[in-house]
Amino acid sequence: MNLNGIGYIVRETLRNLARNSWMSLASVSTVAISMFVLSFFLVLTTNLNHVTTVLQSQVEMKVFVNPKVGRLKEISLLNKARHWPNVRHIDFFTKQQAANSLKREFPNQRDLVALISKSNPLFDGYDVFTYRPQAIPRLATRFEKDPIVHAVVYEGQVVTRLAKLSKVLRWVGWVVEGLLGLATLFIIVNTIRLAVFARRREVQVMKLVGATDWFIRWPFVLEGVILGLLGAVVADLVVDAGYRWLTGVAAIALPFWPLASLASVMTQVLLFTLIGGVFVGILASLVALRRFLRV
Amino acid sequence: MIRLDKVSKRYPNGHYGLVDVSLTIRRGEFIFLVGPSGAGKSSLVRLLYREEAASQGEVYVDQFKLSTLRRGQVARLRRQLGVVFQDVKLLPQRTVYQNVAFAMEVVGASTRDIHKRVPQVLELVGLGRNRENFPHQLSGGEQQRVGIARALVNNPIYVIADEPTGNLDPETAHEIMKLFVEINRRGATVIMATHAKEIVNQMQRRVVAIEQGRVVRDEVRGVYGYES
Ligand SMILES: Nc1ncnc2c1ncn2[C@@H]1O[C@H](COP(=O)(O)OP(=O)(O)OP(=O)(O)O)[C@@H](O)[C@H]1O
Ligand SMILES: [Mg+2]
Repeated sequence: MNLNGIGYIVRETLRNLARNSWMSLASVSTVAISMFVLSFFLVLTTNLNHVTTVLQSQVEMKVFVNPKVGRLKEISLLNKARHWPNVRHIDFFTKQQAANSLKREFPNQRDLVALISKSNPLFDGYDVFTYRPQAIPRLATRFEKDPIVHAVVYEGQVVTRLAKLSKVLRWVGWVVEGLLGLATLFIIVNTIRLAVFARRREVQVMKLVGATDWFIRWPFVLEGVILGLLGAVVADLVVDAGYRWLTGVAAIALPFWPLASLASVMTQVLLFTLIGGVFVGILASLVALRRFLRV
Repeated sequence: MIRLDKVSKRYPNGHYGLVDVSLTIRRGEFIFLVGPSGAGKSSLVRLLYREEAASQGEVYVDQFKLSTLRRGQVARLRRQLGVVFQDVKLLPQRTVYQNVAFAMEVVGASTRDIHKRVPQVLELVGLGRNRENFPHQLSGGEQQRVGIARALVNNPIYVIADEPTGNLDPETAHEIMKLFVEINRRGATVIMATHAKEIVNQMQRRVVAIEQGRVVRDEVRGVYGYES
């Protein structure tokens, strides 16, 4: 395709967009709406993922060491376990520290405070943080095998349920996004098909005087891409403004709720809507043209 | 060279446009297709630029064997041909200039060449002053001449014209015919379906007469041969 060709394509595309300006506006709006729905879903999944990660980072496992085990052995297990797979972070605590934190947590429980102050019945141990909640049960068994370990305690069910939930959500996400993508495609195909239909005579004459299929396709493809992109950008602007507002409101109303950051949400939204817009635009124009090129 | 070998054309509704037609047209010839309305002249012409495909037999245009032409090659075939359609086929939303320039854009000509060539051709068909008119602002004859300009603008090897003078007064028809003769003299092959009795008789060129889809007469220096 030479320079004249490119000039021709751009001129044709702009002419077509201008000539069918109402139609173009209509398709940009439809794209924008479906992209907005897509974005809404993206915002939702990004936030769910965010909450899941936050919760996962709070998930821990407590490993208690037998009484009367020397500090040296405790430290050596600590150093060993640091290199085990899926271990993100380990904190060692002595039974004294455990007692102090209990006291801090329940200052009003006089009996308890008195009990642990007199003869501390608690254990030394480790707080173990993992990368993936699914890894906790296996790590627990591994700790239990060590002779110095007295017991391992973790919120097994919460962790596995959370993991299952996020898996299900991810699947639901793909399915919903797939359906939305199809719906968007369908809408653009029909808009472009109408545009092609309005110009079917032109397409026919072009072919009869020797135009190649691609020569005819390019302006429509570019038109599809522009429609897709414009729609995506409109949706992105709305989502950006909306999410800014939401984070502002949430900061006051739900200060502890871990909302995903604007940046992380918008990278997802921009990525999916822009790529989606271009993809859907190209695909739609090709599908829309198929029938009309048979001259 | 164009060659039709036992070609029949049967339309989807069962009508026959052509029946067992064999015909050879050599480079540089000037050939009239004559015959009553509905004889099959347009049917023959439409096979040549592959708007329709033969139902039986084979059509050859130079190196192209039309029955097995792949999609991408159809465009290449058509670029060898300049076609004046019986129903003209101008684009209503484009000016005279754009309608002609369009045929050059399609084959990837440069803007400079287009600017140079299109006014020349429009001058040639006598439309130098109608460049900015839209088709609906022109008379039938003027529209036909835009179609002729579009067919000629790329200097095709074959000029295929389906009743190019149908809507023209005898004077203009004569001018246009002179144009075709000139193009033919410069080497283009001209194939023209026509009802213009006077012109055919006067020109003394090859005449192929078709009736009910069959070639009934093929004369090197023929006459129209029908009461018009
Ligand atoms: N698309 C079509 N579908 C069905 N029948 C057709 C079609 N085109 C032409 N025919 C039939 O084929 C026959 C030849 O038609 P054609 O158009 O080739 O005649 P023609 O010689 O060009 O006539 P004219 O001088 O009026 O232009 C006619 O009987 C016509 O009805
Ligand atoms: Mg005809």
